[in-house]
Amino acid sequence: MTAPVVDPVLDPPRSAPLGRLLGAELRWVLRRPRTLVMLALFAAVPVLISIGVALADGSGRGPGLVSAIAGNGLVLPVAALSLALVLLLPLAVSMAAADAIAGESAHGTLRGLLLSPVGRLRLVGMKAFGVMVVATLATLVIAVVGVLAGMIVVGGAEGQLVTLSGTAVGLGDALLRVGLVAIWVIGQLAAIGAVALAISAVTDHPLVVLASVLGGLIVFGVLAAIPSLEWLQPWLLSSGWTAGADALRDPLPLGGMIESSLRALCYVAVGAGLTTYRMLRRDA
Amino acid sequence: MTSPSLVDAPPAATDAAPLAARAVGLRKTFGSTVAVDGIDLDVPAGSVLGMLGPNGSGKTTLIRILLGLTRADAGTAELLGHPIPEDAARALPHVGALVEGPGFHPFLSGRENLLRVAATEPLLDRSEIAGAVDATLERVGLAPAAGRRFRGYSLGMKQRLGLAGALLLPRRLVVLDEPTNGLDPAGTRDVRRIIAELHAGGSTVIVSSHLLAEVEATCTHVAVLQSGSLVAAGELAALLESGTGGLDVATDDIDLALDTLRAAGVTAYRGPGDEPGVVVAEHGPPTAETIALLVRAGVGVHEARRRRARLEELFARLTEETP
Repeated sequence: MTAPVVDPVLDPPRSAPLGRLLGAELRWVLRRPRTLVMLALFAAVPVLISIGVALADGSGRGPGLVSAIAGNGLVLPVAALSLALVLLLPLAVSMAAADAIAGESAHGTLRGLLLSPVGRLRLVGMKAFGVMVVATLATLVIAVVGVLAGMIVVGGAEGQLVTLSGTAVGLGDALLRVGLVAIWVIGQLAAIGAVALAISAVTDHPLVVLASVLGGLIVFGVLAAIPSLEWLQPWLLSSGWTAGADALRDPLPLGGMIESSLRALCYVAVGAGLTTYRMLRRDA
Repeated sequence: MTSPSLVDAPPAATDAAPLAARAVGLRKTFGSTVAVDGIDLDVPAGSVLGMLGPNGSGKTTLIRILLGLTRADAGTAELLGHPIPEDAARALPHVGALVEGPGFHPFLSGRENLLRVAATEPLLDRSEIAGAVDATLERVGLAPAAGRRFRGYSLGMKQRLGLAGALLLPRRLVVLDEPTNGLDPAGTRDVRRIIAELHAGGSTVIVSSHLLAEVEATCTHVAVLQSGSLVAAGELAALLESGTGGLDVATDDIDLALDTLRAAGVTAYRGPGDEPGVVVAEHGPPTAETIALLVRAGVGVHEARRRRARLEELFARLTEETP
């Protein structure tokens, strides 16, 4: 065996193939017990709402999205997504983002990744991918279980969706509308995820990420409730979150969803920029 | 070589021997604490460098800078000829490292953890991953526990898994930070065997440890740190010889020997051991001259041996003298 000679000229910069890195990240995210428990609990959200609506059927019709579900099952997935978007889905995404960088750092596995080496930019991409996988899965679980529970437990007017505007649309159209809301929700979660990753890149403590994101959302809610701070509304991510219910109107008003999606895009840009800036310099 | 390059060895012309790692004027502070203070260190390719120093002397920080995990405030670092951290992507694929203890995910088994590490290794082909993981688990003696969750591992098993991560594929340089932490005697022997195997295979090894006997047994070179500074660096044998110096002369004619030596202006005294003999103090004439002097005077010299310090004495002297 001859000595491996030090010959800098012959060493190209190398990294494992991106597909393999993403595959490893995917496996890691999906093997994590808390991800699976969380997804199972999310599946229970639309089921519980459907049972509640079915039990209360006929009695006490109030205003609001949930009461619109009664006898109109295809409203359920939209209502469940809108409810979950307030706190549950952000919780799921910030948990994933907290584990992605701060958690890896706390376990000492972040330096392992950097030593392999996984380039620091690639690492940001890999982590963003993992967070988006969780956001997408959580949203889809609620949407799909919502559709099923809505059709089976609540039932509907011959597989139709009666919109909030009073008109009826067919099953295909209704499913398209649910899909549109799901995509819009994933976009909002991308904004949360980007900001959560940026916080995760600064700290070694996953709890700091959770507390910051959820605390931030609560503060947003408080600020939005103060009339004299109305000028602040366009800056608050959560102020556009009522737009999900627009999918239940006829004709479909897209303005609210587009505006909140553009706002989310700004949050994504800022969050991704801060995460990258920080990860290029971070000690591990 | 009687005076090995000691403190502040200048980064001399190094074209002759390739270097596996190099530090020039490295400095790193954390707030008001100076962790590493102007370190110049050359690690020749193929050597086994033992990095010694009391807790908090900057060993780990130096290793982290060399591996690109921490940025130095001043100075430059090179790994396998590549500037770090700029060209880390060129050097690190050929480097295996266990730094600051093993880092793994508790909910995955040892094998799954290692598979995840292997997936990020640029030099491992997809088809080689499973084979490399199993072979490495075997090599570090972890094969029987490979399917158990990392959560349930003992300290020694965790350390073995950390070693496995560094040894997944043939490396030009292996950096082991306190590799014997938490290992039982058998584990310590395994580490010694693994270092010897790496050395025989031509790899360079940098190992930090406070087990001086381990370093003495496995290393060819030593670097001693104290309060962030390098107080000694060089080949182990040369350092030890320069350590206390002196000459043990076994003889029955003790009085004659002492008279002869003192007459020649050499400091000598009666040997402390069981065997009768004299000790010629450090800084005396060269060994051959001393012996010739004694023999000419009619002293029956049975044996003459240069005194070699134990690494432990050398270390104690180096790290206690410095304030």
